[in-house]
Amino acid sequence: MSSVIKIKNLDFSYGGPKILENIDLDIQRNEFIGMVGPNGSGKTTLLKIIMGVLTPDKGSVNVLGNPPSQSVQEIGYMPQFTPFSRDFPISVEETVLMGRLGKTSSIGFYNSADKLAAEKAMNDVEILDLRKRVIGSLSGGQLQRVLIARALTCEPQIMILDEPTANVDMKVEKDIFDLLKQLNEKITIIVVTHDIGFISQYIDRVACINRTLICHPTSELTGETIENMYGAHMHMVHHHHEDEKNNHE
Amino acid sequence: MQNAIVGGILASVACGVVGSYVVVKRIGYLAGGIAHSVLGGMGIAYYLGRPPIEGALVAALVFAVILGWVSLKMQEQEDTVIGALWAGGMAVGILFISQTPGYNVDLMSFLFGNILMISSDDLLWIAGLDTLILLIVFLFYKQFLALSFDEEFARLRGIPVERFYLLFLSLVALTVVILIQIVGLILVIALLTLPAAVSGLYVRSLNLMMLLATVLGVFFTTGGLALSYQPDLPPGPTIILLAGAFYLVSMVVTRFWKRA
Repeated sequence: MSSVIKIKNLDFSYGGPKILENIDLDIQRNEFIGMVGPNGSGKTTLLKIIMGVLTPDKGSVNVLGNPPSQSVQEIGYMPQFTPFSRDFPISVEETVLMGRLGKTSSIGFYNSADKLAAEKAMNDVEILDLRKRVIGSLSGGQLQRVLIARALTCEPQIMILDEPTANVDMKVEKDIFDLLKQLNEKITIIVVTHDIGFISQYIDRVACINRTLICHPTSELTGETIENMYGAHMHMVHHHHEDEKNNHE
Repeated sequence: MQNAIVGGILASVACGVVGSYVVVKRIGYLAGGIAHSVLGGMGIAYYLGRPPIEGALVAALVFAVILGWVSLKMQEQEDTVIGALWAGGMAVGILFISQTPGYNVDLMSFLFGNILMISSDDLLWIAGLDTLILLIVFLFYKQFLALSFDEEFARLRGIPVERFYLLFLSLVALTVVILIQIVGLILVIALLTLPAAVSGLYVRSLNLMMLLATVLGVFFTTGGLALSYQPDLPPGPTIILLAGAFYLVSMVVTRFWKRA
């Protein structure tokens, strides 16, 4: 096992109070990490630091052995909110191809290698039959799959998904996590979610964020700890890292 | 008359391609700001005794970069600043025109254009700008598409989003300069957006949208010319009204179509 993301002693603020404090995180290759925490706890901020969009005030971040800005093209990202309008005239295939930006040549159109990678990604998430459809005609679950395929097309070593199942029903949620589990054989996955009870069967570790960060192996999770970890009672979670106890208030 | 038709066709290419991006990215207001502030450059060029199109070109590019910078850096006050530059540019133009010695220029032809007065020189300018626009769009089609669809994702894929945004606004600026020759700067924004907006109602991909918008542009400019010819109406407003009427009818038709 080798470490793909290594964060040491990290602080971050948007100029005011600290959003993240004293973060240490070491993610191994092919791990499946769930990230939880209340709204405004700094989850998305931490992801943006890992992808090099934000720079920490203090501490070090290392992604695949390099500073984040150099490794961002090896990360497949699926955003929490879809910032685009659903009536944008674009097909599933064109959307998925966008994941090739940064890997393909910077001038001209997409080449055959890009089309092949997009086809493979669409096949992996089982939307190949939708390739010519306009995104506005898709269901919520189908659109989530398109966005996962877009994140996959760059053939990433790490995938980061920010609440991939926020707007879909239970059945689709299970399908999507089954799919991620399959992808996890080759790719390290970080997924932000609120539904920690449900995903505990898929993930290896849970990273709890509320300004500070504590990791729990899923084997420690019980119904009670899940309930407590969520929301205001996070401090009641038992964890075995003695030295981190002080940070976890 | 022949120049007018050729001018309309050439202008339709730029307006179909760039107009489609403007419509899907929803920056009509920003494009309007660029179009109107251009009068400042035209007025100064006229005062200095240069061809107005040279002033228009410089002013359009300068304002595109300023407005682009404003919309990137001062998002909260974006509409106020655009409004100020919009009106300020026009005011500068009118002051310079008023101070120009000699017979007074026909201000109306700057504001409302005159497709019938297009010279062969103008046609060369328009053809040159068309070529430049098509070349840039051809080279960076996928970046512009990603930028208008999902800016955050484009940035995470390592696309220098700000640079491409400014480059794109420069294309808008060039297109505006072309279209001013056809319908004048007040009506530019309608010709820039209406063909693409109509086209967007019927097709579901950006490249088809550009193609259909170009065809529609040709139809609107030549159709408007033909309609205005017999009753001796000004062609610019006739072109715009034809496009506007087509847009309204298309909206109603596609609404019913979808419901049926």
